[in-house]
Amino acid sequence: MEELLARIAECVEVGKISKATPYPPTMKGMDGAEELTLQALDAGIAPSDILTRGLIAGMEKIGVKFKNNQVFVPQVLMSAKAMSIAMKHLKQFFNDGSVQRRGQFIIGTVEGDLHDIGKNLVAMMVEGNGYEVIDLGVDVKTEQFIDAVKAHPGAYVGMSALLTTTMVNMEQINAALKQEFPHIVTFIGGAPVTQEFAQKIGADYYTDGPQELVEILNRISA
Amino acid sequence: MTHKERVIRALNHEETDRPPFQATFTPEFADRLRKEFHLPPLFSEPHHREWYGYDLERLTGQDALQVGAGWVTNYYLKPEPYTDEWGVEWKIDPYQTPFGEGHYTNIARNPLRDDDEAAMAYKAPDPTRPELYRNAERLVKEFGAEYYIIGRVHCTIFESAWALRGLDTLMMDFYLNPDLANHLLDETARYHKEACCQLVRRGVNMIWLGDDMGAQSSLLIDPELWRTYFKPRMADIIRTIKDINPNVKVAYHTDGCNYDIIPDLIEIGLDVLNPIQTECMDPEVLAEKYGEQLCFFGGIAVQSTLPQGTPEDIAREYEWLKNSIGKGGGWICAPTHHVQLDTPIENFFALLNTIGIEDMRP
Repeated sequence: MEELLARIAECVEVGKISKATPYPPTMKGMDGAEELTLQALDAGIAPSDILTRGLIAGMEKIGVKFKNNQVFVPQVLMSAKAMSIAMKHLKQFFNDGSVQRRGQFIIGTVEGDLHDIGKNLVAMMVEGNGYEVIDLGVDVKTEQFIDAVKAHPGAYVGMSALLTTTMVNMEQINAALKQEFPHIVTFIGGAPVTQEFAQKIGADYYTDGPQELVEILNRISA
Repeated sequence: MTHKERVIRALNHEETDRPPFQATFTPEFADRLRKEFHLPPLFSEPHHREWYGYDLERLTGQDALQVGAGWVTNYYLKPEPYTDEWGVEWKIDPYQTPFGEGHYTNIARNPLRDDDEAAMAYKAPDPTRPELYRNAERLVKEFGAEYYIIGRVHCTIFESAWALRGLDTLMMDFYLNPDLANHLLDETARYHKEACCQLVRRGVNMIWLGDDMGAQSSLLIDPELWRTYFKPRMADIIRTIKDINPNVKVAYHTDGCNYDIIPDLIEIGLDVLNPIQTECMDPEVLAEKYGEQLCFFGGIAVQSTLPQGTPEDIAREYEWLKNSIGKGGGWICAPTHHVQLDTPIENFFALLNTIGIEDMRP
């Protein structure tokens, strides 16, 4: 069992999606995250173990490597793809309650801004670490954030912006969220965003990368 | 000294009376500037796809004038949603600033995202149509004696390919579907190589290539992936340009942190690196390590200093740049991107004043 979970984690870490996918070349023809997850289920391994000790363990490793500039965006995309293929086979266990999410995370690039690389990376890493992600996409307006929190009470909210002309919209969105939901925890990020800006607008956390955000989430949701 | 001589000398690593200056403006900032000069409003986009004249550039003391060609000229194409001739769908996104409403055009749909077959069969438009280069001809003819002329061919290989395929999809194609990735990159590189040739034959002094490869603190993609997919294609384009005219300088725009590929860029014959975002790369490190082999173009931060700083911050940043990447020549002073609408007008004129450019407002 330990060996199978370790292999699932490795597949997620290196982006080995399934037997048919050619990447990485050193694992050509070998089972990927998809086959190994099915084998683990067949062997009677608890879906929650597959999730936490296989898939999430792999995503945690790629997240740390990404933070340290040892891997780059395309490799993270491959890892996320490997994880999402495996997750399809675990979906029924989320639905029947035998596997629990760590929490819910609403994310969007704020109004006026269409940049989504950073936002997508954060969404993938947060999902990869066991949270349910509600991705509102790009150009997200205040009301959309508020509606999403109403639909998902207790969810955390993350806002992204790449432009100085649009990051200012975070202030209004954050204020509206805090007024409507006094206990909500908000995160902001994106290239021009800083810790000082977060303090100025009253957002709870600023992080300059997905891994830091995940570490904070894990701490406050524990 | 003419504007042109100032740029040529600086690019030869010679000291000049002041560093040469160049800037581009988002359409709404351009109109705010026009108002300052008592010029009537006029829609203009920063890539100079159309002929808007070069009043603003000349009134703001710019030494290099630029004209665009290639896929990048599809930005700001229309005031309503549109599909460009490559098949990329665009939308209009308004945003608010203290200085009024602005509009960005953004990609709404990547036409080849979910269609491997169409992607493999994709053919770029015809880059040899003479009408695409009429403005370049006119610019060289009207202003080429006095000003340094830049042919801007941004989104050269990577960005035009991912506009077609989707950034995340193309990034995974590199690993999962190399044939498809190679085909799309061949199409975009081939088109833009021809655009460069057309511009060089019409007498531009510089070709300004561009593909954003940097994230805020690292490259977007693995440097080895860049060496596999992009380095040979860029080398081919640079070699082809220099074969036609060895005096033409080649600049390369890549946002963000690009330390990992700078030695490679020097190796394949790059002359000038742009835009030098100081939030991402240290100009002192760049000057120290590469100042003898490369010139630098940019540096004035549109992500922080220009919109958010004070005139004193701008002067401080300018001095820092002038004493690092600008030491002994080798620097074209420029904002790191189009000047954005959230920039106070006095900050822009403070920049001109700091550089030593006369304020020509009436």
